[in-house]
Amino acid sequence: MKKKILYITMLSSVMMMAVSCSKETLSPVPTTSISDANAFATTDRILGQVKNLYAGMRSGSFYGGRYIIYNDIRADEFINELTNVVTGYDVWNGTMNNSSTNSVVSLWAQAYFTINLCNVFLDGMAASGNTVVGSTLAANYNAEAKMVRAICYYSLLQLYARPYSDGAGSKPGLPLRLQGNTGSGNYDLARSTVAQVYQQVLDDLNFAETNLPLTYGSAAQLSNVTRGHKNTAIAFKTRVYLSMQKYTEATTEANKIVSATPPFTAATGVPFALQSDITKVFASPYITTESVLSMPFNGTTETPGGQNQLGYYYGQTGLNGGNGEYSLNTNGIIANAGWTATDKRRSLIYTATNGKKFVSKYPSVSPFTDYAPVMRYSEVLLNLAEAKVRTSNTVDAQAVALLNAVRNRSDASTIFTVASFATAADLIAAILTERRIEFLGEGLRAPDLARLALPIPAKGSIAAIPFSAQNYIWPISATELQLNKLMTDN
Amino acid sequence: MRKLLALLSTVVLLTTQLYAQNRTVTGNVTDEKGAPLVGVTISASSSDKKTITDNSGNFSLSVTDRDKALKISYVGYNAETVNLSGKTSITLKMTAEDKALSEVVVVGYGTQKKRDVTASVSTVKGAVLADKPVQSFEQALGGRAAGVQITIPNGVLNNPPVIRIRGTNSISLSSYPLIVIDGVPSFTGDASSTNAAGNALASINPSDIESIDIAKDAAASAIYGSRAANGVVFVTTKKGKPGRSRVNYDGNVSWATAQRLPVLLNATEYTNIKNESAANAGTGAINVFALTNGPDGNPINTNWYDYAYRTGLSHNHNINVSGANESTSYYFSFGYTKQQGIIQRNDFERKTLLANVDNKINKMISVGGKISYANQKNLAALSSGSLPGEAFNTGGLARLAQVNSPNVSPYNNDGTYNINPATGLLGLMNNKTTQVGFYNQVAALKENQSNSETNQLQGNVYLQFKPVPWATLRSLYGVDYSFVDNDLFASASSGEGFPIGNATSAYNKNKRWVWTNTAQFDYTLADKHTFGLLAGTEQQKSNNSGFGLLRTTISDPFFTNIQGGFGTVALSNTTNNIGESYLTSIFGRLTYNYDRKYSISGNIRRDGASQLGANNKYGTFWGVSAGWEIAKENFWTAAKLDNVFSSFKLRGSYGRLGNISGLSNFGSLSTYGAGLYATGSTLGFGNAGNPDLKWETSTKTDVGITFGILKEKITGEIAYYNNNVDGLILNVTQPPSAGLPNAIATNVGSMYNKGLEVTLNAAIVATKNFSWNSSFNIAFNKNEVTALAPSLPSLVATTSGLESVSITLPGYPIGTLYVTRTGGIDAATGRRIFVNAAGKNVYFQNVAPAGQFRFSYADGTVAPTVSSADAAPYLNTNPKYQGGFENTFKYKNFELSALFTYQMGFYVYYGSRAGLHDQRFWNNEADILNHWQKAGDNAAFPKVIFGDNISNGSSFPLDINVFKGDFIKLRSLTFGYSVPKPMLDKIKVNSVRLYVSGNNLAIFTKYPGPDPETSSNGNGTTNQGIDRNQAPNARIITIGLNVGF
Repeated sequence: MKKKILYITMLSSVMMMAVSCSKETLSPVPTTSISDANAFATTDRILGQVKNLYAGMRSGSFYGGRYIIYNDIRADEFINELTNVVTGYDVWNGTMNNSSTNSVVSLWAQAYFTINLCNVFLDGMAASGNTVVGSTLAANYNAEAKMVRAICYYSLLQLYARPYSDGAGSKPGLPLRLQGNTGSGNYDLARSTVAQVYQQVLDDLNFAETNLPLTYGSAAQLSNVTRGHKNTAIAFKTRVYLSMQKYTEATTEANKIVSATPPFTAATGVPFALQSDITKVFASPYITTESVLSMPFNGTTETPGGQNQLGYYYGQTGLNGGNGEYSLNTNGIIANAGWTATDKRRSLIYTATNGKKFVSKYPSVSPFTDYAPVMRYSEVLLNLAEAKVRTSNTVDAQAVALLNAVRNRSDASTIFTVASFATAADLIAAILTERRIEFLGEGLRAPDLARLALPIPAKGSIAAIPFSAQNYIWPISATELQLNKLMTDN
Repeated sequence: MRKLLALLSTVVLLTTQLYAQNRTVTGNVTDEKGAPLVGVTISASSSDKKTITDNSGNFSLSVTDRDKALKISYVGYNAETVNLSGKTSITLKMTAEDKALSEVVVVGYGTQKKRDVTASVSTVKGAVLADKPVQSFEQALGGRAAGVQITIPNGVLNNPPVIRIRGTNSISLSSYPLIVIDGVPSFTGDASSTNAAGNALASINPSDIESIDIAKDAAASAIYGSRAANGVVFVTTKKGKPGRSRVNYDGNVSWATAQRLPVLLNATEYTNIKNESAANAGTGAINVFALTNGPDGNPINTNWYDYAYRTGLSHNHNINVSGANESTSYYFSFGYTKQQGIIQRNDFERKTLLANVDNKINKMISVGGKISYANQKNLAALSSGSLPGEAFNTGGLARLAQVNSPNVSPYNNDGTYNINPATGLLGLMNNKTTQVGFYNQVAALKENQSNSETNQLQGNVYLQFKPVPWATLRSLYGVDYSFVDNDLFASASSGEGFPIGNATSAYNKNKRWVWTNTAQFDYTLADKHTFGLLAGTEQQKSNNSGFGLLRTTISDPFFTNIQGGFGTVALSNTTNNIGESYLTSIFGRLTYNYDRKYSISGNIRRDGASQLGANNKYGTFWGVSAGWEIAKENFWTAAKLDNVFSSFKLRGSYGRLGNISGLSNFGSLSTYGAGLYATGSTLGFGNAGNPDLKWETSTKTDVGITFGILKEKITGEIAYYNNNVDGLILNVTQPPSAGLPNAIATNVGSMYNKGLEVTLNAAIVATKNFSWNSSFNIAFNKNEVTALAPSLPSLVATTSGLESVSITLPGYPIGTLYVTRTGGIDAATGRRIFVNAAGKNVYFQNVAPAGQFRFSYADGTVAPTVSSADAAPYLNTNPKYQGGFENTFKYKNFELSALFTYQMGFYVYYGSRAGLHDQRFWNNEADILNHWQKAGDNAAFPKVIFGDNISNGSSFPLDINVFKGDFIKLRSLTFGYSVPKPMLDKIKVNSVRLYVSGNNLAIFTKYPGPDPETSSNGNGTTNQGIDRNQAPNARIITIGLNVGF
């Protein structure tokens, strides 16, 4: 009997032990994704994360399409053809509300998603990544993250906050998030002022300028266009300072990458320069020294996604099988008499069989994989031109030369001279007109109006929106207001 | 071998004879009625000699002088001891055991005598599931057990039924109970990824099932810990029974038809009404509908049901061999079934093999095992529109049959498919408009396939060691491997493949092993104190992986599989998966019973589950219960209550269980995913996990009485339960500016189910020639969600991703219908009246004449567009009560049984009805003829305006398509005849039974659709009670034969 009880005890304990050797199996590792614990373990993974920051920005709801489109269509150059709220009808007629899913809600979410990717990346680099890649690459990569973060905050300011020109940045800006969020938590955070957010944007861009590489090499043109380098950060600063009406600083920054005399190029780093034919900038392979930063798309593996593509909105059946969502306002810049018929930029307009005109800068067919331009060098030239005129308040000769550089490469017949402009204001008007012509369909029109505190002009059946109007800027995402208790609406 | 054994036994016999004076006792054992009992064990009282009775009940045993008596025992009969006192011949009539006393129930890692059970367990005998025209056993469980709601979603073969035990107990996770087959938790759900459903549980041949025990309360299911909250269903397969070898054959043939299809417009009616609506819309010039003559010269009048449904012919064969002696029992079976569904080309074919063998090596050690193999083929040509996610498939067959125009034919007069070459849709014939149908299903029915084939192997082996009579140590290792081949092909001429054709192939593996070690101790002290102690450990590992390919651009119509000639190849992402999960557990049970009067039991289990967050991998679950058999008390007998109540037991239980069913393998982890940027690879933060993620917790209380009246002639059970579910896992959205990639799964919500169950069984008449048994059960349940997350005030669920018709929010039952209200039809103008969110009436006309508006108030001023934004929570989809009622009559060799099932107090959204009254090119239900035509008409439907998909409810769901779902169904009616024994003896056959039965023969309901027992969303928890574009249920007639040798 005792023996038997001994057996039982022994056998029982063997059975129990069977369970104890199972700890690791209880925490299995997925094989199709990489654990957060190992995401910064190798140089390749870290580089992959850097590229993913741009991929976040490239989303179709952000710089891959809709951010550019919204800044075009909320201004006066376009006419909505299909009254579809999914494709921005409410943005176009200025009636979007807090719950406008496709615009107000999703762009907010995607921009902050990208910001968080940057923050998570910066945290991870500080924790372990910097030592994995070494100090040089670490500095480069951190700078790229800060540059992407800066672009995101700057872009959000253009839509969801009063322009800097309204009260010198004193109005409510954005919740300024600089720490990576990786789990549930209390995310209530109030808005910083517009000025505070701009300051963060500049801090990030200054860091980027200091720490980004000069170039990815002449053999790596694709990276030079699709990733940030020193000159990218500088170029973007000219846009930021212009938005803040800080023309001296804008001039200083632009002078770093614009030579004093034509042909205007960047002397160091990636040699930014205008292409002799503007249409080449919008044609495959889209990689030129004029593109300061572009969002790349490829084949069927990297696409903007349905109802996000520039070519789908601005193209038309007869052009590229696009949906013809927005035609050009016949009373807009295309009516400008000074924009000659032979101007090469007129060739970037398509006239449909029904006579309506469409932007044809994005001519590829479905899935519409034209690169989306974030910034071109011609903008830097015109930024400098405008800043110089505004700081000096004279008809600045270099400003005229810069204006000519942009105009003449597309229209050799129209040559401006200092004598063409009676006053500085005339020259500024010419520069602004040039911007409308040059960047038609590239999303600069609405921010240009906003930085100068100008009303949004009337278009079609839609009345003008005064600078002071509530719907001059977008409302805050309803989801944000619901879930972030410290958030306030516009 | 046998010779050797014979020789050995002779030697043994001879040897023993040397030591004792032996003599031989012969005898015969019969049952009460005098029929011989085969396989009865006869053992001598002192020497260990024993034998069993032969086919005639005779035995012969050599005994020694020391043997004063013979012990005679037989399963199901009271054991007897017969004094020898010199007798050489014995005749014994054995009496059957009182069933109520001998019945056992499976309780998880063991069994208990039913009378000792203090938990809530329902038992269903396998016999009532056999011979039913089903693919898997749980389809036949409806109405059999109180509180177990089974809903057959539609007529698609092998579609997993909806199972709810005591209501819906989860929101995001599964409400499906844990199914444990012979000790191994089984895979459940639809294993197929094609348009043919492939219920994983169909791998069990229903005729191999001995019994099903359903654990409903905390005490009964706590032993399954973190998986027990939805209840546990124990399936026990058949084993050999003592006695000679038995051979049984069961076979049947059945015919299935679609029932209660809506009556549609014929070609002329369709043509007229479409022209009328086009005229009303002012588009009469561009939408001209016209009849077309067919090859016979007469106008075409197509009944598209003829190209969707059929009379499905099925046959079913099972043969098994079983038997057992003192040391070995065995059961072998082979089953084959080939079934045709009511949907054309929807077939089910299954072969099953099962071997159950148990062997006692010696007094202490036994071994045994089971191997079950099933091959099931689930076949379809195209989507039926009836499986979850299919409701709005352009090619959903049930919908095509109702939408496609009756004034065109599937074939052109030259015999080719009537397909519009520009669009691949149904051709227009003489109609002048843009579209008269979706796909022409004839091409798909002829050329396409959407098949899946599952090979499933389930098996286990065990070793049992019984060193002393009161201790049993057991180690069981089991596997469940399922391999699924999905094979889809769509020809270039079918809508699904137009115009280039495609083939998809996907292979899925699901593998699981379970290793269970238990020690069971049973001890009775002083005949009154009975103790039971169970201790055990268990590990379970599951792995899944699968991948698929899609090929398009067929080279030649000859090719019909993925291996053929195609232009492209791509990954088919729908089936790309790989994962694993692991569960490690220790558990125990203690039972104590005093004098069969007072019993208590406690169950505990500690589970570690890999799916849970790092900080909450382990959880402890438990259940306690107590019972009091009052009828055994003296005061009860003194009060003469025992004259009425032969038994009367009070019982109660309480415990805490978990639910992790359906939790994703790696959802609690934070991970980074790969992507592309400028042709380079990227890695990005893609999933924010929750290291604190834990099981959902159910706190269950159960009190009940079980009683027997008039010597157990009537038995019954009444139970009240309350289940509070806390920590429901919901995906909680964080502020978007936090920038997280996903809503994070968090334990936040809560709800409850409470209710009352009553079961009554009565042997109303029991005479020699006639008996009448009746069994009735009813279960009331109330479900209410009490909390969601602060950031989640309500949860709107969709049907097939399109129609947001279900809402879950605190204060309402789960899955409440969410529709926009209407206020009838304006008799003056024939406009649909909506009631908008502000409570104001809004009149709608799809095309407004000049000066009027599409949406306007009664005074004619413009009103804001009414949409789903005006919807409000409407009616409840959870049955308030449901159950079954069965009566079985036996007269001599005839037997008649009828089972009614019912579900009451719930509403169904009959979404198909919206489509049936849609004023686009769609065909309509015939009742549309009663539509508004002139001022003053009090019509059922508004003025028809071509293109109107709003007033009928297609565009957004309306209250006009919500109906009471209450029904009573004659679920099955069986008439059987057993051939009398004398006739059989002549042909040396043991038993022959012939039967004819009907399934779904009658349904009593006011529901206007084919069947209120329905689910377009399968087992979905928050979108139940939706009937959208799906096939009806089948009505089935079966004739069958059971033969025993």
